[in-house]
Amino acid sequence: MKVLATYSIKGGVGKTTSAVNLAREAAISGSRVLVWDLDPQGAATFFFRIRPKVKGGTERLVSSKGDLAEHVRASDLPGVHVVPADFSLRHLDLHLDGSKRPTERLASLLKGVESRYDVAFLDCPPSISLASESVFGAADALLVPVIPTTLSSRTLHQLSDFLGGQDSPPSLLPYFSMVDGRKRLHREVMASLRSEWPHLLTTPIPNASIIERMGPERAPVGAYAPSSPAAQAFAGLWAEVATRLWA
Amino acid sequence: MGGLLNYSSDTLPVHHLASALVGAGFEVSRFRPVERTLLDTFDGRLHAAGIRVEVRKGAELQLIVSDGGPAPAVVVVDRVPSVGGDLPPGPLRARLAPLLDVRALRPTVSISGLHATAVRRNESGKAIVAVDLHDQLAAPPGEALSVRWTAEVSPFEGYAKAAHQAEELLGSLGLTRRDGGVLDLAADELAIDFRGHLDSPTVALDPAEPAAEGFRRVLANLADTIDANRPGTVDDIDPEFLHDLRVAVRRTRSVLSHAKRVLPADGRDHFKAEFRWLGAVTSPLRDMDVYVIEWPGYVAPLDPETVRVLAPVVDHIERRRAAEHVVLAGHLGSPRYRGLMTAWRAWLDAPATEKPSSKKEKSAPALGPIVAARITEAQEQLLSRGRGIGPATEAEELHELRKDAKRLRYLLECFGGLLPASSRKPFVQRLKAVQDNLGEHQDTEVHTTQLRAMSQELHGAPGVTADTLLAMGRLTEVFDRRRQDAREQFAERFATYDTKPTARTLAELLRGLS
Repeated sequence: MKVLATYSIKGGVGKTTSAVNLAREAAISGSRVLVWDLDPQGAATFFFRIRPKVKGGTERLVSSKGDLAEHVRASDLPGVHVVPADFSLRHLDLHLDGSKRPTERLASLLKGVESRYDVAFLDCPPSISLASESVFGAADALLVPVIPTTLSSRTLHQLSDFLGGQDSPPSLLPYFSMVDGRKRLHREVMASLRSEWPHLLTTPIPNASIIERMGPERAPVGAYAPSSPAAQAFAGLWAEVATRLWA
Repeated sequence: MGGLLNYSSDTLPVHHLASALVGAGFEVSRFRPVERTLLDTFDGRLHAAGIRVEVRKGAELQLIVSDGGPAPAVVVVDRVPSVGGDLPPGPLRARLAPLLDVRALRPTVSISGLHATAVRRNESGKAIVAVDLHDQLAAPPGEALSVRWTAEVSPFEGYAKAAHQAEELLGSLGLTRRDGGVLDLAADELAIDFRGHLDSPTVALDPAEPAAEGFRRVLANLADTIDANRPGTVDDIDPEFLHDLRVAVRRTRSVLSHAKRVLPADGRDHFKAEFRWLGAVTSPLRDMDVYVIEWPGYVAPLDPETVRVLAPVVDHIERRRAAEHVVLAGHLGSPRYRGLMTAWRAWLDAPATEKPSSKKEKSAPALGPIVAARITEAQEQLLSRGRGIGPATEAEELHELRKDAKRLRYLLECFGGLLPASSRKPFVQRLKAVQDNLGEHQDTEVHTTQLRAMSQELHGAPGVTADTLLAMGRLTEVFDRRRQDAREQFAERFATYDTKPTARTLAELLRGLS
């Protein structure tokens, strides 16, 4: 099982929409997928129409008695299962801090389900904290959405610098998110970052109103607008990720 | 949650069940035609690994891969996959392709009929349980099944209560519950064994039984393997059919060569010659198969540009392979082949045994001592030849040693029913280490010769440039280096085999036979 975390220090950059849509793309290309919603806002949980409830609370889940398999719910998408979030995840840092080897705890919980899934997506809250370090300890790769603006590219550098100081950090797989090709700034930042980051994934995710419809539809874009450019972009992005990690 | 729960009824019409499901809050889709087929390799390796690959042909073509875990993989495909490389790239291919190796996927059991799905949702619109309804069930091409329709409950992970309620509903309607899904039901009725065909050379043997009977049983089992693999070879399903057919032929020849004073002399020489013919006619295609299978490994040491200019060689190999297949298919459909196998079966079934060669041998010899003597002779022959090989010995002597090793290996495998597995396996492992070295030496030498011959054939052919011929030269050098490496490693490998522990293991192996 490969663990992929959609992660960014910055909020509102498309982490959850990426996790949900890439989970669908992974599943329809034959993967057994687990999505673990680690964000107390529970947006991924909402998109999958699952009740936001961490059975027994986050403290119990991350304790030595925690078993991730008990929390798994089947989504309506064949091949996609979800560990839902609830508001108790706002104290994830605190509970991890109280556990043994906090930066290894999420990896340890995922180990209990690794034979059941090919891919686990961790949908992370925007921060850099103890929980983030536990995510880095569990993930094979960080999928980092980058809006092509100056601030977003700055946070990518911050993240890269932080990971540089870690022992065996996950691979960094940045990609452009919420791209508006009509904006000159977006085009310029994309060109600049592509030359600076040769491993940047090449498929950009557009800033599209069809993606915003995930809220009322409560489903990934590919489920209600499969031929839209946004759905095609997520398919292309997954194909790149799969090629990088499994080819 | 567990797997599918399958229900059916002899009396209740399926539309009554559909109405009952609607009454219980299920949404029931329209019935649409569907075909469901399980795929596996000829030798059932997916079944052995606990994996099911199903093709479901309805509005779209779906591939459903389950392994008993909670999340089956479901993928829409353009066509039914045949080999691992046909699977979509990513985790599914990474999981299945190594398991399939060169084997092709073939249908094992199919059902057709009409299909509808009944889904119950919660207040958020989330599906919490599904019931698949199959009506007008049949097993193509036209086999009727005893059950006309079925209902399969698909539990959703994390929603056990809803699944339990659905089971209660079906039970309250008087439906009969069965284990397994609708494809298991069809397989049971059609007597389809998901374990597939296993080509084992080992049969049950008794050391005290007459040797002729044991030899005949071993040879009849090998004849079964030849027959079982002929259709897949002729239909060109995957290269393993030919491989297994060839191995069974070689084992047959080897066992026949050890059958002196066991089986009648009159037929023995005739059949040895005929199986030599059969082995020989299968070689050209197998040579080409090996090229196709091993090509990525062969060119791995070369740079990408060199690999690119070798494309005409790959085309040439594939053309030759196709031509050789036509030739072999002709041989395997010929009167000579059919006559050989018919006569062979008749000869094996005949009661006659070799007459005792001396007055001392008043009764037929027992199998155990004969096999022990043959294995001992084969080992002595192997050691004697191997000890005589030095750095300056001709390559031909190593090829003969490879044949000696194969003869010993085939004896151990074909008469494995007499030998304790606990000492047979470690002995075979020791022998295999020598065989691998000898195989690498001979194969690379053969490839070197063949590539040189191919260079001549391709000289001046359309699309073949000087770069292609130079690249073939570089590939020949790769093989030649590998051959030299194998030759250099031989002495050490053989010395590791030619030891007291090997002799002790062999003695333990043969202890119960005399």
